[in-house]
Amino acid sequence: MTRDPRAPRSLPPGLSRLLLASPLLLAACEGRQSVLVDGGADARILNDLFVVMLIGAVVLWFGMNGLFYWATRRSPAPHSQKLANWLVILGGIAFPTVTLGALLVYGLTIMPDLRATGDGPVIRVTGEQWWWRVEYERDDGSTVTTANEIRLPAGVRSTFLLDSKKVIHSFWVPSLGGKMDMFPGRVNEMTLGPERPGIYRGQCAEFCGESHAWMAFEAEVMEPDAFAAWLDAEAADAAAPQGEAARRGAALFLAQGCGACHAVRGTPAVGRVGPISPMSLAPFARRRAAGHLYGGFRQVGRQPRRVEARRRDARL
Amino acid sequence: MSSNHHDRPSHSRQDEHEFGEERESLWRIAFAPTIWAFHFAISYAAVSVYCFKFEPVASMGVLRAGLIAMTLAMLAAIAWIGWRAYLRWDVRGTGEFSNPEGSAEDRHQFLGHAGFLLAVVSFIGVVYDTLPLIVLGTCR
Repeated sequence: MTRDPRAPRSLPPGLSRLLLASPLLLAACEGRQSVLVDGGADARILNDLFVVMLIGAVVLWFGMNGLFYWATRRSPAPHSQKLANWLVILGGIAFPTVTLGALLVYGLTIMPDLRATGDGPVIRVTGEQWWWRVEYERDDGSTVTTANEIRLPAGVRSTFLLDSKKVIHSFWVPSLGGKMDMFPGRVNEMTLGPERPGIYRGQCAEFCGESHAWMAFEAEVMEPDAFAAWLDAEAADAAAPQGEAARRGAALFLAQGCGACHAVRGTPAVGRVGPISPMSLAPFARRRAAGHLYGGFRQVGRQPRRVEARRRDARL
Repeated sequence: MSSNHHDRPSHSRQDEHEFGEERESLWRIAFAPTIWAFHFAISYAAVSVYCFKFEPVASMGVLRAGLIAMTLAMLAAIAWIGWRAYLRWDVRGTGEFSNPEGSAEDRHQFLGHAGFLLAVVSFIGVVYDTLPLIVLGTCR
């Protein structure tokens, strides 16, 4: 069988389809929990660092493989001792020293920006098993406590005081910045300067027990005025339940002793063991990350099915 | 058998003499990494203590200048040790990069070679240790 050597060679059909479908993989680069979709300056700096390292790695990969190709295919004869010596001195000592030195200087120059002092709200986040206790310090010295949801004003740098109750957790909102570990008995400080309002997703980034994967939270970046109004509203007592189902839910909540662990501001429920909701328990029921609640129950021997069945009947 | 028996004391004396010469070189190859270790420990300890205790009350200027001066002195010492080791290696004189034979001269040159490479690594290590002090100059 003869084939015209000038005719373009076609790829096998399977490979063509795979190549055509491959851009779909890029869809994974979008999303609320992607380091590649930055919602603020910190994430952008880290994104730039990633791109620099990626380009460097690709250039090095091609460089090394090019050398390998040259040494094995293009010039396979033994090289002179002098050339070999210079290859070791330049490629093995000078090049890595200069490259690593340049990367070190680059890394050091971006550090002050990432660790700048905060000029916005101070938020204390404590890693519990397996949820997040979030306390906002207000100007009058009072604090507003919520759980599993962090709200931040856009355009200012918020300060996070990170602590943990029993085990090591790690606080990370990939779209807003880097992560920091939370240790029992030690308060770590970090700042984040979100710029783009929106809802991002945070996740515990240090394995902390069976329900680690459920230990997620939402970080909502708001306009500063909206944030101030929200914080004022959160500081007030919970709204009275509206409607028959909500009233029944509130009565069930109190009657079943849920208040021994959970708090709802302005009601007899004042427990501090479980997640707190100052407004009402509605955020628990609608929260997309509510799964960690059941995970936590499983860990402490509670019956998630019972809770789920009640949630169907009565709006918490 | 008896001749071997007779030779042994002379060999031992010769070995003792040669190893005696190298004992000093053996110590010398550890000098540069030791300076590097001291530089690392002193720099990190001094900056940690300053940032933990004295940052609010005193500027970092004096500490920074002092540590940079210490760095320059240590780099000069490592460079001198490296130069002496390079001369002992004598690669320009002999043209030999590696010294695989077991003779006294080879051992001498090999220790020079090892000492030189350790000095190069230590020099780079000390420069890298100091870069945060020069580029950042702050506790944050």
